[in-house]
Amino acid sequence: MSSEFRLQCRLERSGFTLDADVGGGPTVGLFGRSGAGKSTLLKAVAGLVQPDSLKVTLNGETLVDSAADVLPPSHQRGVGIVFQEHRLFPHRTVEGNLRYGAKGVDRALWSEVVELLGLGPLLGRRPAQCSGGEGARIALGRALLARPRLLLLDEPFAALDRGLRLQLLPYLQRVVQGARVPLVFVSHDLGDLLAITDSLALIERGKVVGQGPLGSLVETPEHLDLLHDCGLVFHIPGVVEARDETGLTHVAHDGTAEARILCGDGAAFPVGAAVDVRLRPEDVILALPAEGGEAALAGQLSLSNQLPGTVTSLTVGAARTLVSMDCGLGVPVLAEVTGRSVERLGLRPGAQVMAMMKAQALRLRPRSDA
Amino acid sequence: MGALQPAEWEAFFLSLRVAGLATALVAVPGVALGWLLARKRFPGRLLLDAIVHLPLVLTPVVVGYLLLLLVGRQGALGGALEAMGIEIAFTTSGAVLAAAVMALPLIVRSVRTAIEMVDPGLEEAAAVLGAGPWRRFRTVTLPLALPGVIAGLVLGFARSVGEFGATITLAGSLAGETRTLPLAIFGELQKPGGDSAAVRLTLLSVALSLAALVASEWFLRRLREGGRP
Repeated sequence: MSSEFRLQCRLERSGFTLDADVGGGPTVGLFGRSGAGKSTLLKAVAGLVQPDSLKVTLNGETLVDSAADVLPPSHQRGVGIVFQEHRLFPHRTVEGNLRYGAKGVDRALWSEVVELLGLGPLLGRRPAQCSGGEGARIALGRALLARPRLLLLDEPFAALDRGLRLQLLPYLQRVVQGARVPLVFVSHDLGDLLAITDSLALIERGKVVGQGPLGSLVETPEHLDLLHDCGLVFHIPGVVEARDETGLTHVAHDGTAEARILCGDGAAFPVGAAVDVRLRPEDVILALPAEGGEAALAGQLSLSNQLPGTVTSLTVGAARTLVSMDCGLGVPVLAEVTGRSVERLGLRPGAQVMAMMKAQALRLRPRSDA
Repeated sequence: MGALQPAEWEAFFLSLRVAGLATALVAVPGVALGWLLARKRFPGRLLLDAIVHLPLVLTPVVVGYLLLLLVGRQGALGGALEAMGIEIAFTTSGAVLAAAVMALPLIVRSVRTAIEMVDPGLEEAAAVLGAGPWRRFRTVTLPLALPGVIAGLVLGFARSVGEFGATITLAGSLAGETRTLPLAIFGELQKPGGDSAAVRLTLLSVALSLAALVASEWFLRRLREGGRP
């Protein structure tokens, strides 16, 4: 489905200026530190905050344009929001909540959403009798059933612990893959965003300072510190191939390298499951290859993954350098190192290195595009 | 003490009618004003707030007299009302109006507090789900504020049953027309040997107020249990 949207918003409040311009679709992940203006932007787009100027277009059609006095009130804007605190109506049952915006929804869509989000067993309950994770699913279902033309997710999982978020992401992935509605997903956790989309927008102090896939964002030195603070991770798509007797999960990747990725965190995924191996560049160690291709001392280290590769680019930030390598995994491998290490190892594009990763530092997630 | 006399029953039923009509008369404006003061910012808001609450701090006799100046035969609106065939001063309508004006601030206060307790975020959530202002009020704000609204109406009803000063000033004490329970009690106390009648009427007043309180408590409990009535 081609759904391109663009949000342009300007808003000045005492001491804070939001001046954002985000485009893309059908799914864009908006991220930045707390207080960067992410929620304010969403509220302005939905009509809950009055900005100084606002223009929202969707597939070339103008939904909102303050300059042309096209400013429909929230209830006529067709923009849905899932709030961080979910905001379920306490005096209605779960079904009553789902039906609130679902006027004229046909039975097929109703059952589809209820099934997609696993809401069936909850329908008769009150929101107070539901857990936080269930609340997030109800809020998402309620928003979907109102059939918005654009759906905004304002950190709906932020209040939940990591385990619950991990359980919820597959639901959201299914919603996104159904591509029922163009979507902006806001988070300050890069990992959560990447599980949903690779189309990212980076917002800092009220301004969108970068947009694009992670691979291009990390090549801008100014973004490195912010990316690091938002929990910079990268994904290697693969398929669970086997689980050995030591409990390690072997993941086959899409690249040309023969080696499998060995991962300590795979018990939840059966053999054959499509997964993303998720790791933080700061967990990748670089070494110079010795004679025979292996790293010096390799046999004496507790490292399960040692992959030879070629440095493709270096991004030198203020406090860290990000090294991008081709290790034959189908996607670049990123490593965060100090400037000192760059000098000592003589890292430059074209240099041969070994990328080493602890099996315990790798996390598996259901694959975002599976 | 003896049984209730016909005149006493008359005062009782008149009180019930006047208080019921007065509460019904101000229920909708009371809720609207409570919502306005809780949720909206507009010029003159403070003044409106003050005017609505004036009867709470003024002596009722003054309120009755002001109403008389407004709707009495010689009053500012008296001529216009008379032309329309409406007579308020010294009629049951006058007793209702006096009770209503005195009850209004109690209802507004209670409704306003209840609406201020409703999370505006829920109204926002309703808006992005496509609900216009009226539907948001009807389906989110009002149901969540309902216990406070009902408490306010009961308070207003009880205040109307007990209204004395404004009623006697605006409507006098006409048997069967404006002589409600408090006026009847006062009248009996003025008469030699009226003590036993006064006691009977007092017991009636207490019973009526108690019944209103119990009814509202029962209703609130049902509301809490069922979530919705």
